[in-house]
Amino acid sequence: MAATRRLQKELGDLKSPNSVLKKSFRDICVDESNILLWHGLIVPENPPYNKGAFKIEITFPAEYPFKPPKVIFKTKIYHPNIDEKGQVCLPIINAENWKPATKTDQVVSSLIALINDPEPEHPLRADLAEEYTKDRKKFMKNAEEHTKKFSEKRPAD
Amino acid sequence: MGEAAGAATAASGALPSPQLSQLNLTISAAKLNTAGGLFSSKPDPYLELSVDGHSSRKTEVCRKTLAPKWDEQFTILATPYSKIDLKVMSSNSIRTDTVIGQAVLDLHPLLEKENGKFKDLTKTIELKSEGKGKAGDLTITLNGMDVNMRQYPKEGRNGKHFLKKSLVAQTNYSICKCIGCHCVYDTTPPFLETFLRDKNFYIFGVAAYILGTTGLAESPAVKTHVTFCLLSYQTFRNVRCIKEADVCIRHTWTTAMLLWWVFQLSSYIKLKKHRIMRLALWEMRTDQHGRAYYVDHNTRTTTWERPQPLPRGWERRTDTRGRVYYVDHNTRTTTWQRPNTESLNNYANWQEWRGNRTLEQFGQRFLYPQQPAPTQENDPLGPLPEGWEKRVDGNNRVYFVNHRNRTTQWEDPRTQGIMQEDPLPEGWEMRYTADGVRYFVDHNTRTTTFQDPRGGPQKGPKGAYGVPIQYERSFRWKLGQFRYLCHSNALPGHVKITVSRDNLFEDSFAQIMRLQPFDLRRRLYIIFKGEEGLDYGGLAREWFFHVSHDVLNPMYCLFEYASNSNYSLQINPASSINPDHLQYFKFIGRFIAMALYHGKFIDSGFTLPFYKRMLSKKLTIKDLETIDSEFYQSLLWVKENNIEDCGLELFFCADFEILGKVEQHDLKPGGSDIKVTEENKEEYLNLMTNWRFTRGVEDQTKAFLDGFNEVVPLQWLQYFDERELELMLCGMQEIDVDDWERSTIYRHYQRNSKQVVWFWKMVREIDNEKRTRLLQFVTGTCRLPVGGFAELMGSNGPQRFCIEKVGKETWLPRSHTCFNRLDLPPYRSYEQLVEKLNYAIEETEGFGQE
Repeated sequence: MAATRRLQKELGDLKSPNSVLKKSFRDICVDESNILLWHGLIVPENPPYNKGAFKIEITFPAEYPFKPPKVIFKTKIYHPNIDEKGQVCLPIINAENWKPATKTDQVVSSLIALINDPEPEHPLRADLAEEYTKDRKKFMKNAEEHTKKFSEKRPAD
Repeated sequence: MGEAAGAATAASGALPSPQLSQLNLTISAAKLNTAGGLFSSKPDPYLELSVDGHSSRKTEVCRKTLAPKWDEQFTILATPYSKIDLKVMSSNSIRTDTVIGQAVLDLHPLLEKENGKFKDLTKTIELKSEGKGKAGDLTITLNGMDVNMRQYPKEGRNGKHFLKKSLVAQTNYSICKCIGCHCVYDTTPPFLETFLRDKNFYIFGVAAYILGTTGLAESPAVKTHVTFCLLSYQTFRNVRCIKEADVCIRHTWTTAMLLWWVFQLSSYIKLKKHRIMRLALWEMRTDQHGRAYYVDHNTRTTTWERPQPLPRGWERRTDTRGRVYYVDHNTRTTTWQRPNTESLNNYANWQEWRGNRTLEQFGQRFLYPQQPAPTQENDPLGPLPEGWEKRVDGNNRVYFVNHRNRTTQWEDPRTQGIMQEDPLPEGWEMRYTADGVRYFVDHNTRTTTFQDPRGGPQKGPKGAYGVPIQYERSFRWKLGQFRYLCHSNALPGHVKITVSRDNLFEDSFAQIMRLQPFDLRRRLYIIFKGEEGLDYGGLAREWFFHVSHDVLNPMYCLFEYASNSNYSLQINPASSINPDHLQYFKFIGRFIAMALYHGKFIDSGFTLPFYKRMLSKKLTIKDLETIDSEFYQSLLWVKENNIEDCGLELFFCADFEILGKVEQHDLKPGGSDIKVTEENKEEYLNLMTNWRFTRGVEDQTKAFLDGFNEVVPLQWLQYFDERELELMLCGMQEIDVDDWERSTIYRHYQRNSKQVVWFWKMVREIDNEKRTRLLQFVTGTCRLPVGGFAELMGSNGPQRFCIEKVGKETWLPRSHTCFNRLDLPPYRSYEQLVEKLNYAIEETEGFGQE
């Protein structure tokens, strides 16, 4: 398939020991039969999310790289930019910003950056954004509890 | 004519004309009454006899007696049907001889009684005077004849019955010969069976068939036969001719045959008790004024002209101006002159002449008068599209025949509407000489010139539709060209399409696909089952609206919205989920062509690239923007950025997901191994753009265009660009109330009648959607013609929106969609008018109350 070579290369780069994301994006799992569907584990560095890990799913369209991939959180997360369904609003993969040269590691980096530093100015969940800006303490407390309750176990190393 | 003569000789040889036999007639004696009166002296009687009015002979005169005795024997020649006239005359030396009494001896009954032979048969015959009283008795004796009476059946005045029977055999012989000719030419008379079923049609039908298909060309035998057909046909037209034919019968075999034809046909008339005449599949009918007209069941047309089938290889056609001309496929020529009997004879003579040529000369004929058809290699425009043919009319003007959908046009389909050029000024026309040289006709001054009146290309500001104003202004002209082509290729009669509202899509599909595509160019007559509406155009308009609404509905998966933000429609690549989808696309192609052809609008529009595809215009990356902006942006990025070293990993192949399955497509052979580089990316982008537009919809598009092209040649669209095509098909969207009011007319209301004022007040107060529904209630469609309300069309051409004062204030408004008319009762208040109108447009669907 046309996108296969590109995706395999990207996958190889991400899995390589030289990847800058080797700590924060791991357990990358791609079904043999469908290279267009990736699963992985986001391991954030910053509180309140550094107590857990979050599964994501990346879906590449058949027209990749002419159309951007979609990213969805499979693990519940208490975050102003990620809604209850796990949808995330990531500028780099917006229709207006997408470029065929954008790589998946850039997309994941951008995602990790967004998790570590929420952007309450462009919220998907207005209630959390409000809490985040007005009562950061409360937000941190809620998010930490939420992370403990719902997030995945962080890898040992 | 050698063969014909042979045939005729053979025929007359076989014809057992009633034989003459020798009859010995002895005139013995007579007993006469005292006819002369008491005081007159006794007459001087003699006897005069004649056979069938010929060979008059007389006895001696007996002096002064009422009981003459002659005992004279006459040997005469007679047929079994002969009648012998016997007159007893009175000789007078001063005055002319007078008839005393006469009798007619009919031989046939006597012969029947005597088994065909007289042997001393003595008969006493009563003589009648001129006053029909008895004049006396005559005694005669008959000897001789000796004929076989089985050969001479009873009756048949002058033996016509007999003649008729023998002629049947003769005619059949001739016909067999003609059919034999057919076999030589490898054709089977297809109507033969039909005619055989009705024996009255048999001979005539076959003859007419031969006449119609072979003409006179093929063989002199046929020619003879066809002459009979024509003669009998003409004679039949005039029953008085029967008498003339009766006179002719004695003279020639052919006229005898003619008479037989007349008999056959007139008996047919009696049989059927009405005056129907057919020639092959022609029928004569009479209109209410008693004028005869002719119905051609072959083409379902009528004409005042008396039909004479065209000779073989000839075809009657109508040019773009409705003039009838004739195409001779044998010689590839055309003429205004209908080929008649005379020209057929000439042609037959020519055939004969050809037949007399030597084989060598015949061989040369193939080389020598070769049709000077323009050789394809020499034509700079290349070959014509498939199914097209170039022809020359009677005035040497080149025209083009599209055999696929049976249309003709003056324009060369290869150059038609190629509008890199600006349109010609008003009143100008571009034509081509027979040599293909372009020249210009100025209809304003009635002059022609080779000089292009347009000069250099014009550049001007762009108008409302994104095209130069100059161009836009000429849209009307282009539309005129298109309408002209439609009009000049219209077919006579109408085509009925019966549908039910509940099953509109499937009904319409079945009906449209059942018909011949060219039938769809006849006037449409739409019938909604269970509704008594006469389609004067309103129903057709409604039908187009609803069917288009149905078939283009994305729910059917045949079409899809171009994107989330673009409600234009494009073919859904997943349409193959319906195994019959290609049939449906063909149907939709026909349907859309019908909409354009009949000047009707459809509900939803297609995407601009789809229109471009219909116009076979090249699609560019830019065209992608309207239907897939993400894809467009990415391609644009590739185009505008250096793609080396950014790991795009692009190859000359593309993936496409359809119904959950991803398939790879090589953009060019071996494309999956050819990496896209800065050098070859232009090619890649072109291939990719093209692929993006065609992927998954190629078969559907082809089916659609095929269906379209069957009804309207796609070349006819070449005048327009995609926006104009959209305008033509969908009309305008926004309703301009000022334009509406300006273009409205009134009946029994004035422009300033209070109900009218209220009406416009309401129209201005309601929103566009409601206006649309009001418009749809009255006109049957929410679409407006391109020219706005001023060009609103009704069933009989332009028909402005009309408000008429009808009924009482308790009535609801009614609409006449055929005439764009609203029946607005004289309501008492604005509120009442609003309420009633609202009720009408909300509660009444479609045909409404008309």
